[in-house]
Amino acid sequence: MIPISLHKRPAPLTWPSLLILAGAVGLSLIASALLLHWQGKPALAGLGLLFQGAFGSLHALEDCIIKAAPIFLCSLGVAVAFRLQVWNIGAEGQYAMGAIGATWVVLSCPQWPAHLLVPAMILAAGTAGGLCGLIPALLKVYLKTNEIIVSLMLNYICILFLDYLVYGPWKDPVSFGFPMTTVFPPAAILGPIGGTRLNWGLVLCLAAALGFWVFFRFTRLGYELTVSGESRPAARYAHLPYQRLVVTVMVASGALAGWAGFLEASTTINRLQPSIMVGYGYTAIVVAWLARLHPASIAAASFMLAGLRVGVENLQLEMQVPAAFGGILEGLILLTVLAGGLFGHYRIRWRGRS
Amino acid sequence: MASTGDAIVRLEGIDKRFGDVQANQGIDLEIRAGRIKALLGENGAGKSTLMSILAGRIKPDAGRIHIAGAARTYLTPREAIGAGIGMVYQHFTLIEALNVAENVCLGQSAGFWHDPRGDRRQVARLAETVGLEIDPAAPVARLSMGERQRVEILKLLQRQSRVLIFDEPTSVLTPPEIEQLFRALRRMAAQGKAIVFISHKLGEVLEIADEIAILRRGRIIEERPKAAYGARAELARRMVGRDVLLDIERPAVELRQPVLQIDALGGGGLQEVSLRLRQGEILSIVGVAGNGQAPLVQTVCGLQAPGAGSVEILGRSWDRFFAGSRSGLVYIPEDRLGLATCARLSLLDNFLLTTRRRFCRGPWLRRAPAAARLQALMADFAIRPADLGLAARQLSGGNLQKLVLAREFFRRPRLIVAEQPTQGLDIGATEDVWHLLLQAREEAGILLVTGDLNEALALSDRLAVMYRGRIVDNFSVFDTRKVDRIGQMMAGIE
Repeated sequence: MIPISLHKRPAPLTWPSLLILAGAVGLSLIASALLLHWQGKPALAGLGLLFQGAFGSLHALEDCIIKAAPIFLCSLGVAVAFRLQVWNIGAEGQYAMGAIGATWVVLSCPQWPAHLLVPAMILAAGTAGGLCGLIPALLKVYLKTNEIIVSLMLNYICILFLDYLVYGPWKDPVSFGFPMTTVFPPAAILGPIGGTRLNWGLVLCLAAALGFWVFFRFTRLGYELTVSGESRPAARYAHLPYQRLVVTVMVASGALAGWAGFLEASTTINRLQPSIMVGYGYTAIVVAWLARLHPASIAAASFMLAGLRVGVENLQLEMQVPAAFGGILEGLILLTVLAGGLFGHYRIRWRGRS
Repeated sequence: MASTGDAIVRLEGIDKRFGDVQANQGIDLEIRAGRIKALLGENGAGKSTLMSILAGRIKPDAGRIHIAGAARTYLTPREAIGAGIGMVYQHFTLIEALNVAENVCLGQSAGFWHDPRGDRRQVARLAETVGLEIDPAAPVARLSMGERQRVEILKLLQRQSRVLIFDEPTSVLTPPEIEQLFRALRRMAAQGKAIVFISHKLGEVLEIADEIAILRRGRIIEERPKAAYGARAELARRMVGRDVLLDIERPAVELRQPVLQIDALGGGGLQEVSLRLRQGEILSIVGVAGNGQAPLVQTVCGLQAPGAGSVEILGRSWDRFFAGSRSGLVYIPEDRLGLATCARLSLLDNFLLTTRRRFCRGPWLRRAPAAARLQALMADFAIRPADLGLAARQLSGGNLQKLVLAREFFRRPRLIVAEQPTQGLDIGATEDVWHLLLQAREEAGILLVTGDLNEALALSDRLAVMYRGRIVDNFSVFDTRKVDRIGQMMAGIE
């Protein structure tokens, strides 16, 4: 037997938990350095390149923030559902539907001015994403299906629907056969803030975060969600409308992911094409867990994992490291940080044998 | 085999601390062959911790366990079983889909082949040696709680346990089943087994034990042979360290309009249940757990629709009452931490659980006025510590129950459904809860569901006995002839 014993702390650690977090991230970096070493690449230089690529220049930082925005929105959506202990794994598909909804508005009314077009796109993206969240919710409420499975499988349906649109009815006639829609008109593209490459989508993120915080802190519905997420029996005891809450969170969750799809289509790609699907909806789940479902931490974690993506791209270019390395690193960080949570709640003592 | 009176296990200076709580401190205890030792103490006194240490489920911080001539600092569960220590927990650990013999012999046969018939024969023989009546081929799912407990005992005997620990074994039994258990305990003691009987029911302890050890705040304050203790009141005083009221004063209250009328209620395990409850009285439903109390409570509280018959609450039909605001009805469930409160949420959030509608304006929830109100209530009800930011699970059982009562009484109820309101509480807190319920009776009718006959007799004006989903009889607490026969009614003999 290992001669250690765990002792529950009277209260979880507060600021030292930041040290634990740093330690956990450090540990995962060490593990990835070993992986690089295995591949026959210089490990330290590789990690250096990773950081250089992610945070080493203003340009890189801008890149991180731009990538963090859709991850943040998806993750906020996932967190809403997770707080009720409803496991929405369908952010990826809801994101795709959001992008489709926004594109539909652009293709239908290309001549509208920005002050009409952008709100209409946001509305359509939210609705499309929300409807996509509604399906697993209704199936769960009325047919008692498992939302994890339904929302996960819906992802593939949504992505294939997107493919169908860009390969078929929405294909740009002058795209030389490439599966993509026409480029969005300038009115459909959120402009840059000042002289930076950052765009006004950040305001959307900020509004969503603020709404999230106010909702859970000050509204009755937010309180009812928190209670229902803590304990189903207590929610039943207090006559909370659990099924209505499930539907509400799934729609809200889908709408937020839908907004992320709008943001990506409008600002980064400027059209709809299959390459819009880069797994933000799955990264969002990792982010939500890393952040323990708190909006400010979700922002920080989104930025960190966006940095990881940007950094790994750099690594790919400079050292020919496979793209899967990013996914491995993402998984390692999740594992070490979740495991590190133990030290926040328990004290570890070595026990001598007498 | 150790002869009667020899120590099988000796604990020396056992310490165990959980966070700020010293659960066990400097405990010395000898468990002797052929003796029944009662471990008496209030909830939270450290009885279960001590026995879990013995069963190898918890490691002590300090101290020694002397067993079979060797001293150790702790036991693993495997070592505890190997040393012949076995425990019958309050919540049974049986596999419902298997039959009695399969449960008893599970994991015991060393060979590759399974011999069901041999196992059944062996179990039948084992049951006979201690006088426990059981059909080895019966599926566990169909057994009563008393019969399941017998299976647990047989499991320990099959493992050749020499020390049998029983954690509150009578809480799920009918009076006749308790008698049968006690006979079996005496028989096992006579065969040289050491029995440890954990309880906070004084009468039972005085009836069954040879030696009584009293735990208070983690320490054994005294241990003597039973003959050294006189009456129950004396034992109670030693247990809590002050005099306690075992009989409570019950002022008469004028009966007013009916608050609950149930006629021929059926469905969900109930049959032809009829009850009347008026404002100003306490009606106790007594019976062994699982005889229809749960569906009755769930129906009255709106968690389950009546299958047949009619239920009228505060003058309105069930459908209309629960379609409306439901005001006037409160439910104090048995499961305080899982149902009545959320363990990890703050006391304020838990207060809002059923009172939130009073503190809403539009979509907004106004926590500040709710906090002020709760602060005042916690002072009134003497709930400690009076810190609204604490999580519900940080409160002791008694204080948490008082918080639930404070919250529910704040809603000015006229019909109160209280389920095992003092289960697991110490005597001091039990007394507080009893006083609060009697006080509430002046404004409301109370349907009290309890497994504790003393509680029912102390509090209620009328009693209804349930057995297999039916009300066997319904009578005044002053009808001594019927009160004397409650035991038989609970067992379905009458």
